[in-house]
Amino acid sequence: MNKMTKTSSTDMNIMVEQSVEMTSRRDFFRKAAVYSASAVVASNVLSPVELLAADDENIIHHQKWGTTLGDELNKNPYGVPSPYEHNNVRRTTSLLSSAGDMHAAVSLTPLHEQQGIITPNGLFFTRTHNGVAHIDPNKYRLMIHGLVEKPIVLTLDDIKKYPSESVIHFLECPSNGAAEWKGPQFNSVQFVKGMMSCTEWTGVRLKTVLADLGVDPKAKWMLAEGQDGSEMSRTVPTEKAMDDAMLVYAMNGEALRAEQGYPVRLLLPGWEANLCVKWLKRLEFGTEPWYCKEETSKYTTLTASGKAIQHFYPLEVNSIITSPCPEKNWEFLEDGDMVEIQGLAWSGQGKIKAVDLSFDGGKNWVEASLKGLVLPKAWTRFSYMHKFKEGETLLLSSRAMDEAGYVQPTVNQEKKIIGVEGVYHRNSICTWEIMKNGEVNNVQMRS
Amino acid sequence: MFKCVHKSIALTVATLVLSSVSIFASEAKKDAIDGGMTYTRDKGMYSNYHINSQVDALKLNYGRTPTANELKAWDTDIMPDGTGLPEGEGSVEEGDELYEENCAVCHGDFGAGGVGYPTLTGGDISSLKNQRTAPGMDAPKRTIGTYWPQASTLIWYIRDAMPYAHPKSLTDNEIYAITAFLLANNEIEVDGKVQEDADVLNKKNFMTIKMPNRDGFYPDVNGENGVENVRKFFADPKNFGANTVRCMKDCKDDNATVMRIGIEMKDVVPGYSTERDLPAKKKGGATHPGKEAYEKNCAVCHKTDAMGAPDVGNKKAWAKVMKKGMDNVVNNAIKGTGAMPPKGGNPDLTDAQIKEIVDYMSSNSK
Ligand code: HEC
Ligand code: HEC
Repeated sequence: MNKMTKTSSTDMNIMVEQSVEMTSRRDFFRKAAVYSASAVVASNVLSPVELLAADDENIIHHQKWGTTLGDELNKNPYGVPSPYEHNNVRRTTSLLSSAGDMHAAVSLTPLHEQQGIITPNGLFFTRTHNGVAHIDPNKYRLMIHGLVEKPIVLTLDDIKKYPSESVIHFLECPSNGAAEWKGPQFNSVQFVKGMMSCTEWTGVRLKTVLADLGVDPKAKWMLAEGQDGSEMSRTVPTEKAMDDAMLVYAMNGEALRAEQGYPVRLLLPGWEANLCVKWLKRLEFGTEPWYCKEETSKYTTLTASGKAIQHFYPLEVNSIITSPCPEKNWEFLEDGDMVEIQGLAWSGQGKIKAVDLSFDGGKNWVEASLKGLVLPKAWTRFSYMHKFKEGETLLLSSRAMDEAGYVQPTVNQEKKIIGVEGVYHRNSICTWEIMKNGEVNNVQMRS
Repeated sequence: MFKCVHKSIALTVATLVLSSVSIFASEAKKDAIDGGMTYTRDKGMYSNYHINSQVDALKLNYGRTPTANELKAWDTDIMPDGTGLPEGEGSVEEGDELYEENCAVCHGDFGAGGVGYPTLTGGDISSLKNQRTAPGMDAPKRTIGTYWPQASTLIWYIRDAMPYAHPKSLTDNEIYAITAFLLANNEIEVDGKVQEDADVLNKKNFMTIKMPNRDGFYPDVNGENGVENVRKFFADPKNFGANTVRCMKDCKDDNATVMRIGIEMKDVVPGYSTERDLPAKKKGGATHPGKEAYEKNCAVCHKTDAMGAPDVGNKKAWAKVMKKGMDNVVNNAIKGTGAMPPKGGNPDLTDAQIKEIVDYMSSNSK
């Protein structure tokens, strides 16, 4: 007992471990002597009551986690998800990259596991053009120059000195769903719509930073350029820079992830994620657009006329049913069960106004409920309670409408204007086919 | 009378709800350049967010002025009007050699692709009208020669971003040479003709390059009206495929029928799974956490079947054992069964270790 007077926590731990070990050793010999007695009886909470066939052994028996000491509380100083959640991960495919090269590629958010409207940082979709750069925050500099009276250089500390704001916005790659222009290809909500995520961003309004720089009114355009190997750059209208653009350095309460442009990224709410330049290096103001590689060769929408739409900024109104979906189907339901149909709606042009559901492939629609927060240019949840009928097939679609009055087009409507080679900005209605056995498949309603 | 009261209560509630909307969100206007909404920053609100209104009136004067050298070091973009073009020159022939050395491994000989990375040459501008609405149709060819509107983009991009694994490793002469080579292979004219091997590209003749698809893009973003053209473009929903009609009943959709997946793309990493279980242990090999303890405590009886123990590696024997289910088998190893002593005779092994060992034994017997 002398030992018990020691108070250091490490010693206490050793003591605890020793005493646990002692008991189990004693137990061991006792049990070894009567090991013919079945283990079921030994760990039965109700022993010696006779068990019923309907008894759930998860209730009747002590569980391992209830009879052992758990992990030390700070075993993972930066927390990690439960090991049981190891399948809730971003996924990628060589089909969406050059030669399967995973430096200029994309990884997609598991929307079927997404709850609420905030994507955890580790699951935020990622697109890079020259791999994930790792910038030393102490060596980070941002230069703002061009047609301004007072060009400046800012350190990360300088940027954090400005008053901060936090806003919730989705980011979406304009090629979200690009594989589906010619027809459904992936049987997965993650690959149909997972090139997007939604986060609470923190940073400073670009307008606040520009306030004392004296931006020339003739400077209609701003170049945003990154510091990574690709120096990813884009031209942005100054008007957007002066509206809701931000320099962000945090997401969901912590520093940006390297994949999201640590330490500073440009955020242009509602606009192509590609325009929200990561690892931001430079903002230059000028009178003419720059014609960067990512606004000419790529991120231009080729239409059937042979001409392409350029400077196609906003992500238009869109929605997807995340439950059910191919990954999370209705095979577990029983006839007559009431089940929630839910999903995500978003628009880069305003708030979500309404979401409609169709069970017959788009002929007839009913309005679903919006739930939770309804914020500008942010994911918005919708919900509808449905009575499951076994043996019934459904063509289940969602269609969102935004505050600006835009309604998601049908596949045919979009095809009529863009054709099928546009690559970018696909926002037509998605449809899941619910099979008799509850299986869910990605289909399209089109002619 | 009673009904009336009811009505007026309902009305008051409705007014309250309405006015609470205006209290809790700033004004929204449909006047953004992109055809969408903007939100005012007014009375401490920005849309649904509370804000600190002091901020909007401040000029904070943070940061410092960059030096002339710093500006020169970073302001290296190259624009369509020639701004930023470096001094230097390079010939098609030199470019050929440099391309072979630095680029061909990914972009193919002469930029013809075929190696999986972007194709840089070839195709016809008329292919941009191709629509793959049926299988077997050709895709539009989007290469430098058929698609890119500006040559400045090419030389700027090569200088900043290529070669892929060593960006910014080429000299200005080298980027002129490689650009000249790529232009020639795309049959793009410089000084009115496609350049030959000995011809040289430099700052001066760069501005004579005529890109075939210069006019292939809309809206027109050049000149004084550039931004206004963009605004006009987004003012008409028809321009960008937007719909404004919300049909609820008997909606017509051009004889749409169900199109199902033809050949499913399933090559995803990691593979699809929604299981909630413990991550699969690596099978066999020196890395298995149960291996060492197995050798020490169990191999003496389990290496062969001489003692009547299911020998590791014997598929049949272990298939029979595992039929009982992992939990039962582990339990038997812990408590002992038949001639198998509890925990193989070593009480110091924890239940978790036994589980690991059994996993090792069974996975090496498949
Ligand atoms: C290791 C492979 C690799 C090498 C070597 C390489 N590139 Fe690239 N290149 C790529 C990848 C990958 C991309 C696409 C990057 C992206 O997605 O943004 C690309 C894109 C390009 C593009 C744009 C293509 C388009 O249509 O948008 C050009 C032009 C280019 N490279 C030129 C070159 C030149 C010139 C060299 C040699 C100096 C070179 N590349 C060497 C991999 C390579
Ligand atoms: C003294 C010899 C001996 C040692 C040491 C030994 N085993 Fe066994 N083991 C046996 C025999 C014999 C059987 C077959 C028992 C039977 O089927 O009746 C067996 C069976 C088993 C089985 C199958 C149980 C079942 O449900 O069919 C497992 C699992 C097992 N041993 C695990 C272990 C592990 C783990 C160790 C080391 C920690 C170990 N054994 C050490 C002799 C041994």
